[in-house]
Amino acid sequence: MASEGEVGGKRDQCLADSAIKLGAGFGLGIVFSVIFFKRKTWPITFGSGMGLGMAYSNCQHDFQSPYLLQGKSVKVA
Amino acid sequence: TVAAFGSFRFVIKGGLAGAAVYVAYDQGLLGSGTQGAEALRKAQEALPPAIQEWTSYIGWEVRTLPPIPKIDFSPSDSWNKGVQTVISALSVAPTRACEYTVEGWKYVKDLVK
Repeated sequence: MASEGEVGGKRDQCLADSAIKLGAGFGLGIVFSVIFFKRKTWPITFGSGMGLGMAYSNCQHDFQSPYLLQGKSVKVA
Repeated sequence: TVAAFGSFRFVIKGGLAGAAVYVAYDQGLLGSGTQGAEALRKAQEALPPAIQEWTSYIGWEVRTLPPIPKIDFSPSDSWNKGVQTVISALSVAPTRACEYTVEGWKYVKDLVK
């Protein structure tokens, strides 16, 4: 990949990750709303917000500290 | 027995919620950016065969439906192409405006003659 395409690739990855996290947060919010909170709306909103927040944090990490491994466990032989 | 039933119900609910969270974690939906992008790519790849399977299961005629396009979309590339198109159109706009004005003036003059 050309160097000027790297930022575009990172942005695409951020958008994809945001979509996934929003969907996962929304879905888990629905699950928790149905199971525990008598089908109220706030767990769905909370889950979606949490998903967006996680996506924002990932994007921020990817752009600012790209070479720092995030949450990876490396087994030492 | 009511309390026992209530506890049993709570355990079942907790189990379901915990299973949902675990499945989301296991699929990489709650991980890093690369894992999320990979999960989206896997979902996009799995979508057309799943739609085809569902339509054949329901019994719809697949021939009438158009072939499901492969979703391979890069927002950054599309944005960059859009910006380039707009800017190149703006850069030739004054020249084109002059050409159209000259042509329009010539047309009106020919009409008036």
